[in-house]
Amino acid sequence: MKYIKIYSACVKTAFSQAAAYRADFIMGSFITLLSNILFPLVTILIYANGAEFPGWDMWEVLLIQSVYSMSTGISSMLLSSVVWVTMDHIRGGSFETVLLKPVSPLFFIMASNFDVQSIGLFLGGVIMAVIAAVHTGIGGLMDVVAFLLLFVAGLLVLCGMNLMMAAISFKWVGNSRIPEIFDSISTFGKYPLTIFPRAVQILSVLIIPVAVIGFFPASALLGRVDGKAFLSLIPCVLFLCLGIWLYNKMIRLYEGVGG
Amino acid sequence: MAIITVEDLVKSYKTYKRGSGFKETMKSFVKREEVEIKAVDHISFQIEKGSICGILGPNGAGKSTTIKMLCGALYPTSGKIDVMGFSPAKDRMKYVHQIGAVFGQKSQLIWDIPPVDSFAMNKAIYGIPDADYKKRLSEMAELFDIGEVMHKPTRVLSLGERMKCEFVMAMLHNPEIVFLDEPTIGLDVIAKAKIREVVSEMNRNGTTFILTTHDLEDVEQLAREVIVINHGKKVFDDNLQNLKSALGNKKIVNLSLAKPFKGEKVGDALVIPGSNDHEISLEVDLDKQNIRDFLDSLGGVLDFKDISIKELPMETIITRIYSE
Repeated sequence: MKYIKIYSACVKTAFSQAAAYRADFIMGSFITLLSNILFPLVTILIYANGAEFPGWDMWEVLLIQSVYSMSTGISSMLLSSVVWVTMDHIRGGSFETVLLKPVSPLFFIMASNFDVQSIGLFLGGVIMAVIAAVHTGIGGLMDVVAFLLLFVAGLLVLCGMNLMMAAISFKWVGNSRIPEIFDSISTFGKYPLTIFPRAVQILSVLIIPVAVIGFFPASALLGRVDGKAFLSLIPCVLFLCLGIWLYNKMIRLYEGVGG
Repeated sequence: MAIITVEDLVKSYKTYKRGSGFKETMKSFVKREEVEIKAVDHISFQIEKGSICGILGPNGAGKSTTIKMLCGALYPTSGKIDVMGFSPAKDRMKYVHQIGAVFGQKSQLIWDIPPVDSFAMNKAIYGIPDADYKKRLSEMAELFDIGEVMHKPTRVLSLGERMKCEFVMAMLHNPEIVFLDEPTIGLDVIAKAKIREVVSEMNRNGTTFILTTHDLEDVEQLAREVIVINHGKKVFDDNLQNLKSALGNKKIVNLSLAKPFKGEKVGDALVIPGSNDHEISLEVDLDKQNIRDFLDSLGGVLDFKDISIKELPMETIITRIYSE
């Protein structure tokens, strides 16, 4: 209860921070939205030119991609700033100010850096998903339940990944390239899994389960989910646990920069 | 009663020796030499409840590291810290509820929004009840005279205004102990005076203060107990009176001369040669001579263009304490 109160106070602060620079906020949201509208355009372009992802029609692929946007939207609202903020604190030697608060440092950084602009990304994803779903039609109630379950699992992967990247920045100070590695791996989640070679399929289901971010929940919604999708729930949970563990471990290793 | 007990505290870092210049940088890129640095080296002390204790020392002496360990932000390498029965780093979450801290060089306010919004966030984090919060905020706003200032975005505030708000931020939850790390660094005389005044006032109401500084004036006007640290070791730990008597009551008079002066003494004051023939400093012993009498006599002896009067510099104090 205490933590919910703190979280809402921090999110309110994040909103006032975002509102402090009006033009910046509007531009930021606009660019986020634009870059997410442009991405599905590539898919539309592919299908408009007669090419296709075998076994998947255009609206089905768009559904996968919009679920992917919803998922990344939520995870970046919650966690995307953790990487940058941690990095800044470590480089500037100001992590003590976080440790002075009588709450979990990870929770405090998460709460006080709620990323308001990502709401646009999430909403854009929702709108696109609804449009796509109207064209494809969705399965029954059980399919929706499976969708929700897999969607949450996808969030766990994204959150775990963000935390791991933030944890790495404790030791690998100032490496702004870290997030790019994950961005390129997670791209696999944006496309139908069946188009990839077997090795990539295994990688993106069991080792770094990025398929759970967009592909699995979307195919569940279509009633096309494969039993092996649920197998990847295990690595999803492991990912989050590993992320939290690593971050907290790094805090303990943290040394002040001096001054 | 001791509110803080520190026994045999050590903090050491492992770091890598990095070369400067291209050749050495390349060399250290391939093979790095590990170096152990002892930032704090077997320090012990006690601080009484209700006191104001100054931790003095030159830059890089280990003051900040010590205060970070006292705040629970750093684990000691070895040794024991007991603050109000807590072991700061181990019981950190419970412990930091009881303390406040102001780091002169690291802001806790949120840059883009008014301080009062940052205060509201702290209210939630520390779970301060509404009535207490309102009462305390209005008291402190009045003490620091920031009634208007705290409604402007932090980024437009002057350093002095911001520091006052940092103090309020750190003390809203009514902590028993407040740690101040270089609280007056970079501030002008008026802002310094205001902050010292409020610290004294809060101390009269029972708050214990621990401050690190290399500004001797902070210590003279606030502290009763003084600990001097150099190279990670404690070199002095006693009350202010004894520090003064150990050093003697001295002032430094800096002069820019019209004509060079060669001589060892001016009156009773010792001459310290400066960077060139036209710059000298005089060390005046105030126990032997009134500063006003000294200045009166000075015009007759020396032909100077400019004059300034300062406290003994930190480095001199450290060397003096060593040679004791």
